[in-house]
Amino acid sequence: MTGEAPSRPFRPDPAAIVLVAIAVALNVLASVWMSQRVHDWLPVQASSAAPYVDNLFALEAGIGTFIFLGCACVMGWTILFNRAPKYDMDDGAPIEGNLRLEIVWTLVPLVIVMAIAVHAIQVNQVLATLDGKVRVSSGSEALAVAGSAAGEEPVGPIQVIGRQWSWEFIYPEGVHSTELHLPVDRRARLELISMDVLHGFYVPAFRLKQDLVPGSVIAYALTPTREGRYRLRDSMFSGGYFAANQTDVVVESDDAYRAWLKDALRRPLVPAANPATELWRLRRERGDRGWATVPPAPPPLVHVDADPNAPHDA
Amino acid sequence: MTTLPAPPAADAAANGQHGHGGHNLTGFVLFLCSESLIFLAFFAGYITFKLSSPVWLPPGVEGLELRGPLLYSVVLVSSSLVIVLAERALHQRRLVAFRCWWALTMLMGAVFLYGQASEWLQLPFALGSGVFGGCFYLLTGFHGLHVLTGIVLMALMLWRSFRPGNYDGGEAGVASVALFWHFVDVIWVVLFLLIYVWR
Amino acid sequence: MSPTIPFDPRVLRAPHPVPGAPDNWRRFFSFNTDAKVIGIQYIAVSLFFLLVGGLLAMIMRGELLTPPADLVDPTVYNGLYTMHGTVMLFLFLFPVLNGFNNLLIPPMIGAPDMAFPRLNAAAFWLFPVFGVILMLSFLVPGGPSGSGWWAYPPVSTQNPLGHFINGQFLWILAVALSGVSSIMGAVNFCTTIIRMRAPGMGWFRMPIFCWTALAAQAIQLCGLPVLTAGAVMLLFDLSFGTSFFRPEGGGDPMLYQHFFWFYSHPAVYVMVLPIFGVFSEVFPVYARKPLFGYHVVAIASFAITFLSLIVWVHHMFYSGTPQWMRNVFMVTTMLIAVPTGIKVFAWLGTLWRGKLRLTTPMLFCLGGLFNFIFAGITGIMLATVPVDIHVGNTYFVVGHFHTVIFSTITYGVFAAIYHWFPKFTGRMTYEGLGQLHFVLTFLGSQLNFLPMHWAGLMGMPRRVASYDPEFAGANVLASLGAFLLGVATLPFLINIVSSWARGAKAPANPWQAIGLEWLLPSPPPAENFGEHVPVVIAGPYGYGLGRDLVEDQESVVQRSLQEA
Repeated sequence: MTGEAPSRPFRPDPAAIVLVAIAVALNVLASVWMSQRVHDWLPVQASSAAPYVDNLFALEAGIGTFIFLGCACVMGWTILFNRAPKYDMDDGAPIEGNLRLEIVWTLVPLVIVMAIAVHAIQVNQVLATLDGKVRVSSGSEALAVAGSAAGEEPVGPIQVIGRQWSWEFIYPEGVHSTELHLPVDRRARLELISMDVLHGFYVPAFRLKQDLVPGSVIAYALTPTREGRYRLRDSMFSGGYFAANQTDVVVESDDAYRAWLKDALRRPLVPAANPATELWRLRRERGDRGWATVPPAPPPLVHVDADPNAPHDA
Repeated sequence: MTTLPAPPAADAAANGQHGHGGHNLTGFVLFLCSESLIFLAFFAGYITFKLSSPVWLPPGVEGLELRGPLLYSVVLVSSSLVIVLAERALHQRRLVAFRCWWALTMLMGAVFLYGQASEWLQLPFALGSGVFGGCFYLLTGFHGLHVLTGIVLMALMLWRSFRPGNYDGGEAGVASVALFWHFVDVIWVVLFLLIYVWR
Repeated sequence: MSPTIPFDPRVLRAPHPVPGAPDNWRRFFSFNTDAKVIGIQYIAVSLFFLLVGGLLAMIMRGELLTPPADLVDPTVYNGLYTMHGTVMLFLFLFPVLNGFNNLLIPPMIGAPDMAFPRLNAAAFWLFPVFGVILMLSFLVPGGPSGSGWWAYPPVSTQNPLGHFINGQFLWILAVALSGVSSIMGAVNFCTTIIRMRAPGMGWFRMPIFCWTALAAQAIQLCGLPVLTAGAVMLLFDLSFGTSFFRPEGGGDPMLYQHFFWFYSHPAVYVMVLPIFGVFSEVFPVYARKPLFGYHVVAIASFAITFLSLIVWVHHMFYSGTPQWMRNVFMVTTMLIAVPTGIKVFAWLGTLWRGKLRLTTPMLFCLGGLFNFIFAGITGIMLATVPVDIHVGNTYFVVGHFHTVIFSTITYGVFAAIYHWFPKFTGRMTYEGLGQLHFVLTFLGSQLNFLPMHWAGLMGMPRRVASYDPEFAGANVLASLGAFLLGVATLPFLINIVSSWARGAKAPANPWQAIGLEWLLPSPPPAENFGEHVPVVIAGPYGYGLGRDLVEDQESVVQRSLQEA
């Protein structure tokens, strides 16, 4: 690292100290700038978890930039100024090590990573998304367990059901939907269930992800903080038409949410439109070419169907 | 020339860098350490299943019969003592005694395998009977495979003992097989405790 | 900087070939027990599979050029990415590194051969067998395994067509055979290093490559059995109706993930540790300096081995792992940064105030180190639970992983090939083609893997055959990079093939390097030093220290001339 360059065995001259000081100062500036830029590479923040995740990431990006540029500067310096001229067969300075320096570059990274870890543990405690899980042996048993969960908070528990390849959300009020509607700024409780294979409940705008494990009902909680329509993606590979297994999360005001629930209950239950089923049908029509896959599960019967073409915010 | 402290160069040539016999035991011990981890993994899996599975014994199965397996276990574990006697006989170059003890060990291993096979045939559940059935057959079967391997290796050593001058270069082969046999016995003790004794 | 400047003029004149050693192409196609022949066999076959895996990758990147799944069916894409991962790990990286172990360990420690030459040959010949099995899975009905190289159940045990012989079955078979071969190799390499070092070569006079090889093979011995246990249970679930990982019979799919990652995370260290060894060998040679902090670098290898065995749950942070477990494994994962950092700083210290010669191997090592520092930083990000919850299972991980696996490890593989090519073939490579290879590879890999991090941060899941249009930009860049990497292979292949056929004859020590292997003629005779094993009197990397490596170095050099 640039900062440690002067502690080599010989006496550093003042020019070197000034040079290193300038390099370190520039490096600090670049790192701070970088840690502020990270928000441009991330989707909008739409849950209470997002600011924590982003800030932690920004912190790591800053520290990382400092270390990366520091190391790159040393490499660049040696490549530029420590090159052997052509036909120069001499050896370099025969330095075998420097105990003080080695202790420093063992302890400094240790302190840095442990500090990050402690900070991350605190963030974990604040987020407390994961509530525990119950082991079951079949999909129907999972539905029974999830349905019996008592809700002391107004929102939920909403059953999040993953299938090959569709999402279904069942509200305690009885609404079945392929689109997840949540009221803004209220902690929502979810019960994650998979009917067949592993799936991943992943909303990038929420910065949250949790696998749906067959044979387990996983209690989960999150708080959306920004109104909008966000993509919900299957993040754990689930076979054939895995990539098509996505839907939307709609975060809306409390009034709009209640109105939506009321309106949904008045609608009839219809089979949801399903991109995987559509892809499967196309494949059959074209002579069933391609490699083996299980056929898509029948689409769920829902009151409200997601619109795949609605523009999403993230 | 093998490890520290380094002997002088003349010794190196005398030891014969080309003779690989001395390395056999080292290699075999490394292999056994590695092999024990497969069993460790199976045991860890078994314990996890046993502690966390919502369903364990298949319907209609109360538990495992303990008496017969215990008897055969005693036979297998005591064969570890017999193989020590065989090794000692070989050390003293009493070849006939070695072969007798060695063959007795093989016989005891075979008796254990017979006991295992007859137990398998009587059990009321199959490989596909839930996670318990799978674990039972996988663990006992995998261990039985090791017992069988041990017997085959011992037969090989027995056959080799008739070659003149077989032990001039050391007894690494016999020592390795004996080590393997002790390993198989120790694994069985743990396995027996886990599957039969732990209810 | 020209490699033809003599280090010792007498060594330069050592001609080729070596008397007594069978020197024909046929030995490369036989059950030869010479570690140097086996090493070249490993490297040649694995380079073939590098091309196969690269081809699969380019079809995948072709598919990902546009958002919809239009080039191939999504199921075909699943098979392609599964096979790409499997081929690159089990048929390219593990075997190529075993090839280097075979070539380098015996000469570096002054041994004539491996401890168990026949076991060694048997381990090698399993490699074409499981390679063919895996390739055959393209031909079975239903196509190859399409469940990813993790083969997570229940997807991997679904068996849509119901055949007994299916892609997943062959996949498990091939991986299990690869495990058997690796265990055979690991027993051999460890025994060789522990028991067959030259007189005077104590542990702390051993070259770092041998340290890292031993550390890596120790991981194989500890981790592979656990993967094998998981694979056996998976095979039983797939083919014999058990329910280890099926919830219906009381099983748990999470258990497989524990088994799998207990080996497969350390497996990355199995691959990267020998490359750390290559870096530690190459930097001193071309920086003309002793390795900075040799003892600490050596010990750090085993610190990595130990830590690598207790970090696996960081692949399962979002799988329903309890909070305390997440925290514990985050801390252990973070700790790995410390020994790894020690090595990185030691290499930088080695470069500092050196006399750098920017030859092809040096360029690849510098590039590999540069990329590795970047990958280390994204690795810390991935170890942090809250950040991993967001970027885990996205393209951020794909970018990080490829920066390690390709931009560090494969760079190291190329560096090792260029560095030791003259020693083991007796021919020099073409420097210009090598540098062209480096420039194209460096540009291609940055273009390929950097945009992946960005796509992942924006929320693009990995393993998708189609994606939302907002990720198109990053994917087009990545695809262009992938095609550039394909082009970059051409100068490499031309260089290797034509250099071996008609390259300039290599002297014994073209790089003026210090090490037992450079005291042998190029290529070394069948039994290396034979009866005349030199007595090591100093540690490695004595550049500029004006000391001899072995007792009576003059006569050792003389002997290598006489043998020639």
